[in-house]
Amino acid sequence: MIYLDNAATTMKKPPQVIEAVVNAMQTFGNSSRGTHESSLDAAYTVYGARVRLAGLFGCPGPERVAFTSNVTESLNIALHGLLDRGDRVVTTDLEHNSVLRPLYKLRKERGLDLAIVPADRQGKLDLNDFDRLITRGTKLVVCTHASNLTGDVQDVRDIADIAHARGALVVVDAAQTAGTRKVDMNDLGADVLCFTGHKGLMGPQGTGGLCIGENVDVRPFKVGGTGVQSYSETQPEELPTRLEAGTLNGHGVAGLSAAVDFINEIGVETIQRHEEALTQRFLSGVRDLPGVRVYGDFSGPHTAVVALNIRDYPSADVSDALSQDYGIATRPGAHCAPRLHRALGTEGQGAVRFSFSWFTMEEEIDAAVAALRELTSPD
Amino acid sequence: MDTPAQEISYYILFGNYTQGLALQALLKQEGLTARIAPTPRNLEGSQPCGMSLLVKQEDIDAVRACIEKHGAEYLRIVEAVNQIRPGRNRFC
Repeated sequence: MIYLDNAATTMKKPPQVIEAVVNAMQTFGNSSRGTHESSLDAAYTVYGARVRLAGLFGCPGPERVAFTSNVTESLNIALHGLLDRGDRVVTTDLEHNSVLRPLYKLRKERGLDLAIVPADRQGKLDLNDFDRLITRGTKLVVCTHASNLTGDVQDVRDIADIAHARGALVVVDAAQTAGTRKVDMNDLGADVLCFTGHKGLMGPQGTGGLCIGENVDVRPFKVGGTGVQSYSETQPEELPTRLEAGTLNGHGVAGLSAAVDFINEIGVETIQRHEEALTQRFLSGVRDLPGVRVYGDFSGPHTAVVALNIRDYPSADVSDALSQDYGIATRPGAHCAPRLHRALGTEGQGAVRFSFSWFTMEEEIDAAVAALRELTSPD
Repeated sequence: MDTPAQEISYYILFGNYTQGLALQALLKQEGLTARIAPTPRNLEGSQPCGMSLLVKQEDIDAVRACIEKHGAEYLRIVEAVNQIRPGRNRFC
């Protein structure tokens, strides 16, 4: 199989990640539960992962990296933990349901004043709309670093500058960028950065987290056992424990830690260059095929994602043909990005998303281009 | 029979494991050893976490200086008797 669905999850993982998970499953006790050898093995590894991730993302300290099971949980924690009744929130049409659904839920439960920056027919946002919608008194702006559908990377710094000038906090969804390009909280102006471990970071599924900036207080989303301060009736105040009730996915975090080491060895810039070259190779091979319509803006920063349609063929049919006849794995449908599909005019058809990773080879790109050439040929 | 001289050691108490592991890493950088140990229940009055760093008497001044230098987070330092025995720090 040629796996080109890396925006959903990277299937090929560095061998070090697999080794780390296996080793953890053979040796780990429960992190932060006791002080015997196996508990400390887990605790040291989890702490090391916090140090590595804080370094990777420019987070103020390892204690400000809280682990979750995925970026959806991270976003839920951030949004539920920051927003109060009646707060004004600004987000965008580009967001994944992991942002939209918590906001819709909170609008219903807490009466949020929710404003959504519209995308145009090309899926682009206009900074003037942020300037218009982020009014003084806005509590929070939440936006994706890159669309999971078009791959367009957003000018988060410019958005954050407007937000901060009006006194709003900025939550950034880095699901599609973490591990594949430089993601630095300070450069982005992110007060909270939410990430997942199993996509560009190439770690195990079931891992993710949020990095919390200085002077940002996120209320706990869940409370319970922490292994510390057991006689207190309330969740401990100290980060990261404040946001981490229950046993962590220590085995997964061990793999994630090894994944960050792998990325640091190669360098995110090298990974970005490789993925950009693959994306350009694919794009130049398919964009002029008859009946192919590619979505997104490739004139600016872009992740290794290309979404397209062929004529009026349902995206599910195209993706199924690629899978069954050519052994190529892609993702059709709505990609949990309903508002952007509506903006692009693809609500009914969906789109076929091709997404590449560090482990994608040029020959695989060429095979996908050849398959699309056949599928788009008149006979 | 003579009673052996009592060894004094010190428990550094924390709000959570992360604070304790962070300080242990800083101490290691400066060549100081501190063993992770469970926090005795009688020291948990103000809700410290279940782990502490156990420091020998001869190291405590250097440890305090290290904490001061790095602004390391901790709850408090408590003096205790007869807690360190040979061979008990092999996992740290």
